[in-house]
Amino acid sequence: MKTLSTLGAFLKRDFLIEISYRTSFVMQIFGIAFTVLIWYFIAGVVSAPRTTPGLEGVDYFAYVLLGLAFYHYLSSAMMSFAGKIRSEQTTGTLEAMLVTPTSTGTIVLGSSLWDFLLTSVKVIVYLAVGRIFFGVVIRFDSLLPAFLILGLTVLAFSGIGILSAAFVLYLKRGDPITYLVASASALMGNVFYPSEDMWPILKTFSRFLPITYALHGLRRALLRGSRFSELLPDIEALILFVLVLLPLGIFAFRLAVRRARQEGSLVQY
Amino acid sequence: MGIQAAIATESLGKVYLKRRSLRELVMRPFGRSERIVGLREVTLEVRRGEIFGLLGPNGAGKTTLLKILAGLVLPTEGRAFVAGIDVAADDRAVKRAIGFVTSDERSFYWRLTGRENLHFFGALCGLDPRECRRRAAQLLEAMDLAPVADQQFLGYSSGMKQRLAIARALLHDPPILCLDEPTRSLDPIAAKHLRRFVVDRLNREGGKTVLLATHNLQEAEELCARLAVLDRGRVLRQGSLAEITAGLPGRDHYVLHVIGLPDLPPDRRWRLQIESDGGGPARVLAEVERGGTAFSDLLRRLLDAGATITGCSRREPGLQEIFDEMEAAAARGESR
Repeated sequence: MKTLSTLGAFLKRDFLIEISYRTSFVMQIFGIAFTVLIWYFIAGVVSAPRTTPGLEGVDYFAYVLLGLAFYHYLSSAMMSFAGKIRSEQTTGTLEAMLVTPTSTGTIVLGSSLWDFLLTSVKVIVYLAVGRIFFGVVIRFDSLLPAFLILGLTVLAFSGIGILSAAFVLYLKRGDPITYLVASASALMGNVFYPSEDMWPILKTFSRFLPITYALHGLRRALLRGSRFSELLPDIEALILFVLVLLPLGIFAFRLAVRRARQEGSLVQY
Repeated sequence: MGIQAAIATESLGKVYLKRRSLRELVMRPFGRSERIVGLREVTLEVRRGEIFGLLGPNGAGKTTLLKILAGLVLPTEGRAFVAGIDVAADDRAVKRAIGFVTSDERSFYWRLTGRENLHFFGALCGLDPRECRRRAAQLLEAMDLAPVADQQFLGYSSGMKQRLAIARALLHDPPILCLDEPTRSLDPIAAKHLRRFVVDRLNREGGKTVLLATHNLQEAEELCARLAVLDRGRVLRQGSLAEITAGLPGRDHYVLHVIGLPDLPPDRRWRLQIESDGGGPARVLAEVERGGTAFSDLLRRLLDAGATITGCSRREPGLQEIFDEMEAAAARGESR
């Protein structure tokens, strides 16, 4: 209960900071609308038929819209955990938080909550713009499995994000994880094009990225209304990623905190 | 550790290993990291309800000690207890017993108001929202910040920021407060107000145990019943300021205003330096051997030689002079 109340305080803090920059949120919504428009025109130029391998019967614009929207969760996880730790280090607020009885884990989780919430709003805006202005059909038949996939996706990405935060906490600088995973996911994760169109070696690599399964499952659930049993392979793969990445991230973070306390560098940057 | 101890350390030590650069790793892959001693064999005891000073120059180890007590840094050797709890065993219990005021005045969210900042940190201290609001209002009032409580932190003066930092450290009403150079960025008037607040409101009325790190000797003397002098990670001496300076084999400094200053024969017990010899009395800086009859002998010699002494004041030794004397004493094996 106390943890929930603490997490609520983090949300309130970030909400108040967000609204103190009055035009920022509105600008972000405009940014999303422009991005959707850009991809609408690109999709027009590409005009890939629905039968293109990997598109699984949906048109290219709908395919890329979902890819863009849910890629934001990966960006949030990568940027949020590590980025917030870095920013709190430089402003001196990390030290102020770490001298309170709240656990380091709650502090890291709480610091990232707002970004995930904001990302969820952005995803809804993406889908709404796509639906209202460009006629993308979003199916609600498999909403529950879609939420399950989304939850697993967020947890798996959070594992990578926490691992990335551990690097920042210990190395005090941009970590190699963020750049590597973000670019590899954009390149091979089926965000902008199906992996079927890539070289075979890249297609093999794409199987080791959680975003591949996340986007595959979410597209099937939201664009085709696939049943739970059809989504199960993606769900199982994501569970495996969560089981590996989340404990790995938490272990690395605890190790980083301990090493930083030993070195006396917990709040250095 | 005594029953009355709010804070106690036993042979506490901290060694930092300097990170090796990529060049060093390549050139000497099996070389050892440079060791930087932060604290060495620090044993001290802060009694419940007292204001205890950690006095030392920059780099003496004051902040390292405070950070160990606040659970931000792990010691390399020895043990530290806060309210009877071993800091290495249960740092969260320690954090409930201690309020830590950092010397970094930026450590707030600048876009939030003072009140919103306190609400946030109160939640992190485990207070429920209602208690948090009540406590924040009470502390803002006590710190004379109520009129600016709903203004953004970015508009606060240095004094206000420091008072808000103290309010934050008091949110969970800890019995022990650690202040890391709280007057460092304050003007003399604001510093004086803060010092009075620490003595009157926190210590006398609130009954808080205060551990204060400072490099300001006057501040330590004004606030602290007892103090420990740290230099390069070691405790050179601890006790009251009188106990600490007593018995140091150095020299006392006096400023004398003398009319008709005679030429006195040299004496190894004192050294006279004429600072101004204008129309009026000469201003003479006298460095006189501490203890014994040296000072009265000097005055007698001056008076016997026909001089008139129109004024005399003792100049307090500077922190560096005390350190130099202590180090000299320590080198001779007289440290206590």
